[in-house]
Amino acid sequence: MSATPNEIGQIVWRHRNVIDLDGWSKDELYFLLDQARHMENVMDRPIKKVPVLRGKMAVNLFFENSTRTRVSFELAEKMLSADVVNWSVSGSSQAKGETMRDTAWTLEAMGADIVVMRHGAVGAAQYLASKLKRAIVLNAGDGTHAHPTQALLDLYTAWKHIGILEGKKIALVGDILHSRVARSDIIGFKTVGCDVVLSGPPTMMPKEIDALGCKYEIDPRNAVKDADMVYLLRIQRERQQDGLFPSIDEYHRWWGADAELLSLAKPGALVMHPGPMNRGVEIASEVADGNQSVILEQVRSGVAIRMALLYLCAGGAR
Amino acid sequence: MGKILFKDFRVFDGRCFIEADHVLVENGVISEIGKDIACGDAEVVEGSKDKILSPGFIDLHAHMRDPGEEWNEDICSGSRAGAAGGFTTIVAMPNTKPAVSDASLVGYVAAKGSSSGGARILPAGCVSKNREGKEMAELLKMAEAGAVFFTDDGSPVAATMLLRLALLYLGKRQPRIMEHPEDSGLFKGGQVHEGRVSALSGLKGIPAASEEIDVARGISLVRDTGGRIHFTHISCSGALALIREAKKEGLDVTCDTTFHHLTLNENAVINSGYNSRYKVNPPLRSPEDQAALWEGLRDGTIDAIVTDHAPWHMDEKDEPFQEAPFGIASLECAAAVVIDFKNRNYPEFPLELLLSKMTSSPASILPEKWNGLGVIKEGAAADITVLDLERTRIVDCFAWRSKARCCPWEGIALTGWPIMTFLDGRKIWQDDEEI
Repeated sequence: MSATPNEIGQIVWRHRNVIDLDGWSKDELYFLLDQARHMENVMDRPIKKVPVLRGKMAVNLFFENSTRTRVSFELAEKMLSADVVNWSVSGSSQAKGETMRDTAWTLEAMGADIVVMRHGAVGAAQYLASKLKRAIVLNAGDGTHAHPTQALLDLYTAWKHIGILEGKKIALVGDILHSRVARSDIIGFKTVGCDVVLSGPPTMMPKEIDALGCKYEIDPRNAVKDADMVYLLRIQRERQQDGLFPSIDEYHRWWGADAELLSLAKPGALVMHPGPMNRGVEIASEVADGNQSVILEQVRSGVAIRMALLYLCAGGAR
Repeated sequence: MGKILFKDFRVFDGRCFIEADHVLVENGVISEIGKDIACGDAEVVEGSKDKILSPGFIDLHAHMRDPGEEWNEDICSGSRAGAAGGFTTIVAMPNTKPAVSDASLVGYVAAKGSSSGGARILPAGCVSKNREGKEMAELLKMAEAGAVFFTDDGSPVAATMLLRLALLYLGKRQPRIMEHPEDSGLFKGGQVHEGRVSALSGLKGIPAASEEIDVARGISLVRDTGGRIHFTHISCSGALALIREAKKEGLDVTCDTTFHHLTLNENAVINSGYNSRYKVNPPLRSPEDQAALWEGLRDGTIDAIVTDHAPWHMDEKDEPFQEAPFGIASLECAAAVVIDFKNRNYPEFPLELLLSKMTSSPASILPEKWNGLGVIKEGAAADITVLDLERTRIVDCFAWRSKARCCPWEGIALTGWPIMTFLDGRKIWQDDEEI
């Protein structure tokens, strides 16, 4: 694999691994979104396959269950003609008695070219990338830290509907504290010039919200007011047992998205959710299934954006 | 044991630099300090104006992992690591397996330490039996066997009633209690400082309030019992402020901070991409907290700088941040780390004040038998560290005597290193390149 950057069109693609979106430029993001559009065209063809990753081995290494993300990556890899191995491990690497260093070296010895990893520990993807000499790493979620491909597919979905995103307002509502999706979306949407406003119970907000560069509104009505996009985050039910909010019902009454809350946003504002949804908790069915919802489109976008990333990081000249 | 003459050094006596530049050692004791001492039959160690003769450094807080986890460190490797870092006296924390909570284990640590060939190892014992935080351990028997502190370090003394009773029981003549200030409930599951680093990473935060609450508890109990307490590894400005007030009030309260809290902050964690070598408890806190620690050294609130040397085998420490254990190993580079940092960031901060927090000031917190350490004066034990302020070396953990193989400074060039260490007049370490 060449170490020189892959030059396509106007931009020099310099990302070898995709760990998080910190440090990506606006031009790089839009370039990727444009590539994803071409990839989505492939998905519409009668024969959904192009040979850009032919002969490359992709390993989907999942330490946490996530059927959706894993299947999305697998479809993307297969449509690009990579050979795919799914490697699922429950629990931490230590729980099964092997250090992640050994796991990394094992993957390399087997000849993996691309490693897609989901892991419960913050810093796991960065760690794996630091141990691999040959294979590239795509982070499919590391603990509460980052989920870059989710943020990219969210940007892609929004861009297809809205076009240039600069100056648009997005409200992110829910458990920001524990959300890797929120952390990556905040970076992505801010990089393209969006106004990002957070809402949710104060017990589910980081202490120094300023560090994220966002406004916080405890009342979701203020956050959603005149928003172009309303993004609901999944509420893990065990957070209630941790005492972060008293009941599901109270959460839904205050921060759940229903038609009334959505009516405060701009007419035609997009409703987004990373899935899987808890209907009746963070989102009411009338909103989830309403005509402003692009939640299923996000799923489709996920395959396209992952194809584009795989192509740019592992395909082409590399 | 013969005579050694240290000739033409800049002499630091534990508190300040003195006029004299010659120090004569006879039979392990400093016998004469002067301007020009004839060498006679003494072995001569030649100095220069950049070489400082200092009392050997004293570390009140290090983990030797012995007994029970000797693959991480043992008393011999830790003692020799200390010598190579300029330390002549090291207090070994008792949170081993089993925990040092009876006189026989205190005796084991002391005995193994005395034959280790490196720095002097002084044992600390637990406050509670088996470090369970419930029943008081046999504190007086442990003191008799040589324990110099009582601490449940790794955790606070769990039961407030036990802490109160132990403070009463020990009074002012027995070794101090060393409290690891933390609120167990607020700490639970925490990984990093609650602030910028927790917001950006999503890692669970350990609030500064966790430390402040336990410091407040300890101060109240000292006021209540007339006892005395030492708070270890203070990391945040709020806890320092409480200790500053308690000292003003006249309570017998002392504290230390660590070399890494003085020289690193949460940004190091963020900028490293969450590298586990920066994972430590208490966590690396905000730049404001870091600056407050330097102010605490300056105004006398902080009495000592400690390593909290926490070595781990590479197989345990080299893991993703969230799965790695807490702890930074630093015995072999701590002095250079703080001297280099001071010279870059606080050039006006007096070197003698910094060195006093590694010598005479920590000695004064030890029991009577040891509180004459940390000074260069006639009649004192010849525990001597020679510092070369011009020496630049790259930190190389793979060449350490310690069993740890990573630290935050690996690969970094630092200036200002110990080059020779003497314990009771016997050379226990010398920088190879200095020969």
